[in-house]
This record gives sequence, C-alpha cells and structure tokens, in this order.
Amino acid sequence: MAIIENPLELEAGDEVAQVAEKPLGVLTRPQGSTGWQSWLFTVDHKRIGIMYGVFAMFFFLIGGLEALAIRLQLAVPNGKILSPETYNQVFTMHGVTMIFLVIMPLAAAFANYLLPLQLGARDVAFPRMNALSLWVFVAGGFFLCSSLFIGGWFENVPNGGWFNYAPNSGTLFSPTKGIDFYAVGLQILGIASLVSAINLIVTCLNMRAEGMTLMKMPVLTWMLLVVQFLLLFALPVITVALFLLMFDRLWGANFFNVEMGADPLLWQHLFWIFGHPEVYILILPSFGIISEVIPVFSRKPIFGYSFMVASGIAIGFLGWGVWAHHMFVSGLGPISVAAFSVSTMFIAVPTGVKILNWVATMWGGRIQLTTAMLFAIGVVSMFTIGGLSGVTHSVAAADTQQTDTYYIVAHFHYVIFGGALLGIFSGFYFWWPKMFGYKLNEKWGKWNFWLQIVGFNLTFGPMHILGLQGMSRRIDSYDPGYGFELWNMVSSIGAFVIFTGVAIFFVNIYVSQKQAKHLPPVGPDPWDARSLEWMTASPTPEHNFDEEIVVEYQDHFWHQKWAEEEDGRVVRIAYAEDIAHDGSATDVHLPSPSYWPLVLASGLPFIGYGIIYNYWLCAIGGFLTLGAIFGWIFEHPDDPDAAHGHHDDHGDDGDSDHGTPDSDTVDTDADDAELVTASTDAGEASNG
Amino acid sequence: MTSVRNLSAVTKEGPENLAEEPSPRHTRGMRLRRLPLALAAGSALLLSACAGDAELDTLEPRGPEAETIDNLIDPLFLISFVVFFIILGLSAGVAIKNRVKGEYEDDDWPTQTHGNAKAEWAWTAVPFFGMAFIGVLTVFAVIDLNSEEANAYAVEVDGETMQWEPHVVVVGHQWWWEYRYYFDGFDVDAFLDEDHANPAKHLPPADIVTSGQMIIPAGQEIELSITSRDVIHSHWIPALNGKRDAVPGRIHPWKLEADAPGYYFGQCTEFCGLSHARMRMQTIAMNDSDFAEWVDQQTTPATLSDEDAAFIAALRAGDNPSPANSVQQGLVNIRQLCSACHLVEGVNHFDDVPEDSVDNIYKEANVGVSLRAGAAPNLTHFASRSTFAGGIFNLYNEDGSLNRNKLEAWLRNPAALKANDADNLQGMPNLGLSEDQIDDIVAALETFGTRPSATVIAETFAE
Repeated sequence: MAIIENPLELEAGDEVAQVAEKPLGVLTRPQGSTGWQSWLFTVDHKRIGIMYGVFAMFFFLIGGLEALAIRLQLAVPNGKILSPETYNQVFTMHGVTMIFLVIMPLAAAFANYLLPLQLGARDVAFPRMNALSLWVFVAGGFFLCSSLFIGGWFENVPNGGWFNYAPNSGTLFSPTKGIDFYAVGLQILGIASLVSAINLIVTCLNMRAEGMTLMKMPVLTWMLLVVQFLLLFALPVITVALFLLMFDRLWGANFFNVEMGADPLLWQHLFWIFGHPEVYILILPSFGIISEVIPVFSRKPIFGYSFMVASGIAIGFLGWGVWAHHMFVSGLGPISVAAFSVSTMFIAVPTGVKILNWVATMWGGRIQLTTAMLFAIGVVSMFTIGGLSGVTHSVAAADTQQTDTYYIVAHFHYVIFGGALLGIFSGFYFWWPKMFGYKLNEKWGKWNFWLQIVGFNLTFGPMHILGLQGMSRRIDSYDPGYGFELWNMVSSIGAFVIFTGVAIFFVNIYVSQKQAKHLPPVGPDPWDARSLEWMTASPTPEHNFDEEIVVEYQDHFWHQKWAEEEDGRVVRIAYAEDIAHDGSATDVHLPSPSYWPLVLASGLPFIGYGIIYNYWLCAIGGFLTLGAIFGWIFEHPDDPDAAHGHHDDHGDDGDSDHGTPDSDTVDTDADDAELVTASTDAGEASNG
Repeated sequence: MTSVRNLSAVTKEGPENLAEEPSPRHTRGMRLRRLPLALAAGSALLLSACAGDAELDTLEPRGPEAETIDNLIDPLFLISFVVFFIILGLSAGVAIKNRVKGEYEDDDWPTQTHGNAKAEWAWTAVPFFGMAFIGVLTVFAVIDLNSEEANAYAVEVDGETMQWEPHVVVVGHQWWWEYRYYFDGFDVDAFLDEDHANPAKHLPPADIVTSGQMIIPAGQEIELSITSRDVIHSHWIPALNGKRDAVPGRIHPWKLEADAPGYYFGQCTEFCGLSHARMRMQTIAMNDSDFAEWVDQQTTPATLSDEDAAFIAALRAGDNPSPANSVQQGLVNIRQLCSACHLVEGVNHFDDVPEDSVDNIYKEANVGVSLRAGAAPNLTHFASRSTFAGGIFNLYNEDGSLNRNKLEAWLRNPAALKANDADNLQGMPNLGLSEDQIDDIVAALETFGTRPSATVIAETFAE
C-alpha cells in the first residue's frame, strides 16, 4: 500500500516531480515504434494481437507435425513409426498444443486486435497487462514444448492425454517428469488467459465509444465478451485441479492417491467443469468471426442480431451445466447421468438457432464467394456435423457405445477444426487487409480452402465410421482383422491433404505480400464492411482512430456509407475513403511501451523448471518476477521526454462523454489510469 | 444386424421417392426436399455397410442391452443425416443460387431483412421440443440399462447345486482383465462397508478366477461389478452393451447379456497408460450344458496327471524329487520363477494350508501393499482360454495346435511383444529364461486346464 501511495504524494508537489521520473533506478520506458524492440516492449493491442497470431501459428506447425506423426503411425495396422510411449506423448502434446497453444491464442489474436477497434477504443483497458498476457502465453507455450527435449529427446513429455485422468497421472504410474510439465505449463498458460480475460472484459464494459450500447456491439465482440467471462470462471477451476496434481506429484499430497482413500473422479469433475466451458471458449470466437463475415459477403445485416447475441450467452450459461456428459461411463449414478444427458441436449437449441440464423442471413442475399466467405460457409456446414454428432452422444445410452472411440475424435475435430479453425481462417482472409494493408490472394486462397475442407473431411469423416466400428481412442496401434484398415488409410491420406492446404496458406502470405507491392493500396474498407475497424486506415494506424466516433447504429460504419430508403432500396450516401479516418492525426497520446511485462513473464518458466528440477531456479525466476512487479509499479506512467503532446488530448477528452465516468482517463491513457486509479483508491482507503 | 436391416429398408425408399417425381405439379423445390432423405439413407447404408465385418462393431447388437441402445441411436442417426443435408443443402444451395461474380455494384443490394421473430422463435421451439422428446426416450433407456433383473441360475459346484444370481466381479489391471465368480453370491454393499481404500486388493477368494475371457451362460442377464486395481480402465463388449469405467476405489454396477452362444470381442476404452492399445478381452457366451461343464472344470485345481500330482506333493514335502520329464521340470520352474505374481491352484497354491503359509503366497499377497503382488493372471486353467497376455494373442493356431511360437516369444521377452514398464511394476518382467526353461514351462502350461472347443478357437481369429 505504502509503495503505491508514494508516487501520489510525490506528484502533489511540483518540485519533486523530477524525482518521480526515475524512482529507485527504475528504467526509463522504451520508446520508438520501429525495430525489434518496438515489438518486444510494445503495449499496442494490435501488435500484441499479431504476435499472438504468429506464435500460435508456430505452435500450429508443431501440433500439425504431431498430428501427421499420429496419422503415419495409424495408417496401417501395427504401425511402427512411434513406440507406444512416444505415441502417448505425441497424442497428448497434439491435444494440449492445439487447444492451449493454437486455438485459444488465435482467438486471443483476433480478440486483441479487433475488440478495441470494434468498440471504437484507443486500446485495451490495461495495455501493459495485455503485453503481460502475451508474454506469459509465450513463456508457457515454450515451457510446455521444451518438455519435448529437456532431459533427453521425448524423455519427459506429458503422456497422460490432455484430460490427464488420475490416478494414471500420478508419479506411481507416470514416473517421468512429463506430467509435471503438463501441470506447471498449463498453470502458466492459465495466468495468461486469466489476465487477458479480465483485461478484455473491462475493455468491453468500460471503453466502448460514445453511443455504443452493449446491444450495438458487433456479434464478434459479443462472443469474445462471453468467452472472456467463461475464461474468468473456468480457469480458476483448472488452476485448483492443477495445483492439486502438482502437490500430489511433487510433494506427495495424496489428493488423487487411491491407496490413501482418494476418489479419482474428483479430478474428472474438476477437469470437466473447466473442460466443457473450454469447448465454448474454443468455438465462440469462430462463431463471432463468421457472424461478421457472412453479412458482409451476403450484403445483408446479420439475421436476428438479438437472437444471435442471446444464443451466444445461452451457450455460455448452459456450458456450465453439462460437464458430466464427459463422464457418462465413469460410474455416476443413473439420475446424474440422465440429468446431464438432458441438459446437454438443450445446448443444441441455441446452437441450432445460430446455424439457422447464419443461413437466414445468406438467404436472399447477394453472395460473393470470397475465400473468407467460403471458410465461413465451411464452418456453418462442418460445424453442423459436429453439432449433430454431439447430439447423438448427448444421448447417454448411446454414448456408452460411442465414448472413447474414434467417433468422439471425429466429433470434436468437426467442432474444433470444422468449427473453430475454419472460422479462424475465415478471419485471416477477412481481416488480413486491415492488419497488413494488403489482401491475401484469392486464387491461392481458394486452393487453400478446398484442399483444407476436402482434406479435413477425408481425415475426420472416416473416423465416424471407425468409431462406430469400435476403434478405441488413444490406441497406439491396432491389429488387422478388426475392419479398421481401409478408413485409417483414408484418414491418413486426408491428413496430408490438410497439410498441403495449410502449406498453401503460408505460400499465399508470401505470394500476396510480393504482389501487394504492385497493387494499389487496399484502402480502409476493401470489403464494403460494416463495423468500426473498417472506418480507419489499413493497416490500422497506431492510434486506431483519428478522432472519437459517436456511434448511432448497430453496424454504425455501414450506416455512414449507405442509407435504407423508405421503399427498402439501399442508396449510397458516402464513400468509405471519404469518411474513414486516414490515420494522419498526430499528437495522440498513447501508452508508452514497457520492459516489465516481458521480464515478468520470463521469470515464470524459471519458477516452473525450478519446481520440477531444482528449487534454486525458482529463486532466479522469483527474482525476475518480483523484480518486474517492482519495476512495473514504479514505472513512470509515461516517459517525460516523449513528445506526445498528451495535454491537448486530455483537454479534448474532458468534453466528450463516453457514458462511463472514468472514460477520459481510461481511454486515452489507460496505462496511466491503471496506476492513477489504483493509487487514488489506495490513498483513499488509507486516508479513510 | 437389426440396424443394417432398418437402414437398408429406408435406403430402398429413397430412390423410389425420387422416381415418383415426374408429375408436372412437382417443382424443383419438391425434388430438392426429397434429396436429403435419399442422401441420408445412402450415407447410412454406407456407414452400416462399412461396419459390416468389424469385430467390435457398435451397430450390431447381440443382446438386449445393446439392442436398447441401438434402437435409440438408429433413428437418431437418421434424423441427424436429414438435418445435416438440409443445412448443407441450404447453405451451399443459397450460396450458389445467390452468387454474385466479381465486385458488388452500388445498386447490388437485396432487401435488408434484420430478422424475423416468428421464424426465430420457431426454430428455437422446434429443436427444444425435439430435444425434450429425445430426452424422455434417453431417460427411459438410462433407467432400463441401470435396472437389475432378479434371476437365479442353477450351477453345480463340487456336486452341490447352487442358485447363482449371475454375477461377475470384473477387475481391471494394467493391462489385462480379471473375472471373478462367486457362486454363493457376492454382497457388494457389505464388502464396501469394510471400507478398504482400494477394494480390488481385498477381494475375497472366489470360486473361479480367470482372466482375459469372461465366460457367461447365453440368455442370462449377467450383473457386473467393475473395479480396478491400479488406474482407470473401461470394460466394453460392444455387441452386448456399452462400456463402464473400472475406477480404483469404486465398484461400479453394470450388466450385459448375450442372446445366443457366441464369441464377443472387447477392448479397454479408457486410456490406461503404456499398453492401453493392447488391453483386450472377450466374452464367450455358452449354452447351459457347455457352461455347466466349464464351471465344473474351472472349480477344480489344475488338472495334473497322477504322477505330476505326486511330484508336486513331494516338492511340498521338501523331498527334492528329480523331475522325470519336461512337464515336471516346468512345474518346478513355475513354482520357483512365477509364484511371485502368478497363482496356479494345486501347483503353488493350496486349500489345505494355513493362510500365512509360503504355499499360499497368493492369499497373503492379495492384501499386500505392493502393486505387483497378486496382480498377475491366475494360470490355473491357462490352457482353457483361447487368448493370453491380456486378450491380445491367440493361444491356439487355426488347426487347433498350441501357438507355441508366440507363447515362447512371450516368455522370452514380454516387453518385446507388449510394451510394459516392468521395472515400475507394470507388466511382466523379462526373467531372462533359458530356452530349456521356456520349453519346460510351456510344456507345463499346456497341461493346465481343458482346451476350449474347436468353435471357440476358430472364432478367436478376428477377420
């Protein structure tokens, strides 16, 4: 408390302001917006979003190679590519990587980049915390992946599956360090998501442009908000479970030790209370993305906006009451099974509403089959398969046949690949010009799409059949004679088709970037889109918008370009180029970059390794982390030498009302606000 | 079988409906509307046809429980197919029909519909009531699958007829299944009241202990009490019922029934570590007389010739008799090398000795603390099974001869055939046996129990 109060007192007297610049040798904040340093120390939500994307795509390659290894192993009976132990490690890491290091951070990439823009905000509420989430995610991701080689190649890799059921996860049955890496790695990643969730919730609730009521927010922003709430409530549960596991493994706590009277189902309940909302954490961002893409390429507003929002919220709520459907055969009593079975079925209702509303949006529209739109339609149809197979195993009796077979593997890949990942690719093609100032090539894009969708169906479609034929999940090999040969081979071929499709995406980036040099700039609004992010230059200028936007309508930007006549005709009233901000404003005060998020995050892996190998490393990690917190607190709100001219900006803000009491401080200098508000509160508290 | 029949019946309808179309009143829309059904039926046929010869097929029920599930799921698959093709047809159809090539023109705007409350409420309500209907059916099925039928089955043990409520205690181990039969009943509740942390280690001695293959009388509902000694496994015989997890510390009720005598494949379906893929089991349903005969064989100690029995007696008396042949040398080896884990009634385990006798290593070990002690298959009637090593290898060749190569290879180095971590007490260790020792042990093992019938041996082969 006292620490926080000090700057406040110092600021009170003018003559001591000089001291406040560098208290206790704290570094001057980094400056500049070019060069590698400008990325490492940035607090700009757009750069953070892009970096989330880059790191996630890197992990996507790792997870993809793991998937290919799995498919190579299973292509023929009694595969010999991987040993049983390695296979268990690889399927575990494939799941963990794709869920925690690919889909979640890719959703975070879009959330970071787009959410403030769609709200008409300058940045997120807590820019430094935003950088912290990114670097903690990166630290956690590399920590987890380092298990692949630390202590020997594939010696200490998690091998208990992403669900990691006790007691198989105990040291008795899994004596390598692998599951320690799992427990600590996910713990670190959880910090990243939790910090980010709080940050984005506050941003959504407090930093919307004037006039943008909640029910004018774009559907993507709404879905992201729901996801952040799910994260906020789900992560503490897995945090607890991981702590129990870590204490069990490292310090003999016996939470899951059957010999000491523990019930291993405790882990399953904790894991799935987190794990089921997690499914919606993965899928809802994609629902949001295609809810932006489909209207633009149908030239119609989203059909039933309020139903779309309400069904998203309903999915979020219902998602908390269905976790035990992962445990229908775990030995719960028949009443629990029946109850969770029925509650699970009702998730189909809001999900069905969404699907039909997308179709209704396209209905009667003028449809342009851009790559982004193709991916979006891909989500509608492919996710439907995943949704329907989901209904078939919400029927608990049927699930006793289906669970833990390849039918389930097919199901969740149709949801996570067909739903979440295709949606994310749709988002890539759609927002690429906004992020980088050039469009991705459509011709390559279509190859990308068709290879990916065909490969996807070849890979995962046959798994439905394999599952119904009785092929168990998580088996490292199968014998000939069980009828598994044909479809496994088809599936493995499909995996390589997917791989080609994804490779073409990377080729496309390269090709498009080269071509862009010979093409005219895309302008602020290449798709004739609807939401606020298109109302500023492409790529988005560092300060987002030149002036604050006063929102009147849902799809405000569209309504600035087009008007609906009495007879329903749509007529142009303005061109995007004329009304969009050109990014030329100067004198916009922005939060300064900071070293501390990166330093703080870099301490966490040391603590992790320390817990597992040698407590002395914890001391190094602790020093980095605590030191960074110290530096963070004392960091001057802004570099005194920087010529932002923020006084003007503050002056302007004072006049405009954002609908939130603190908005003038929050939105122009959120980073200050973080500190000032905190110190004010602390001051008041201690005074009172 | 039933599923295949149902689905193919529908398939026939599909093309017929399409053929009925020529009437001029029928518009393109009508034809499109029939299309999903045809496609759905076609896909369903594909699905069931592909699943036709799979040993673990979930769509070919062979007992009432599996039938209950199948009756529920077949219509659901069909509805799902129809719904999917409607959505696919709508989204793809609309996209193709309303497609604009090239850039949008300024006047290229359709009617701006923002929604339609009636339609939206409708497609909220229809799935809601549809799901409620399926929910009711599901609840009934769940109740049905968890109900117990009181039935008594006469079993003759040692000349004494007992009324057996068909019931088998199923114990999962890394990586094999143990089946225990208590013909005078096993009171699960009373046993649980004894409050053992890990009940699987404290199970009372049973009338029959076998592994890998559960033998049941056909046409009888068999109650199962499923537990595990180490990690979580899942017991699953798809043709007879869904699966249920074997969780250490808990005893889960489940049941299964086979309509007719037959050989039904199974596989552990909960990831249980290194050799999860190689943890299989089979259920063999027998007619009443075969089952009675099987019970009769299994309730006796190992079937030894008079000379071998005398030899064992001499060994027990500490006379150090010299083995007269390979079988007797094998018996010596088994007593010396295998007794730490494996039990063979009449060879290294006897009824007539005190509980704490060295010969009764098993009764002692069963309540022991180590993971391994008492945690290997009972070999008393080893030769009466048609698979070994956790239900994964066939014990007999197709011509009925012993699968000697495999068995010898197994004894030579178990981990080479089935991944294990014997150092960590998971799986059978490599004992470094000499070829002579292996030959002798195989010779002795071959005498343990009566061979299964030729039919069983033939059905053991997965096709």
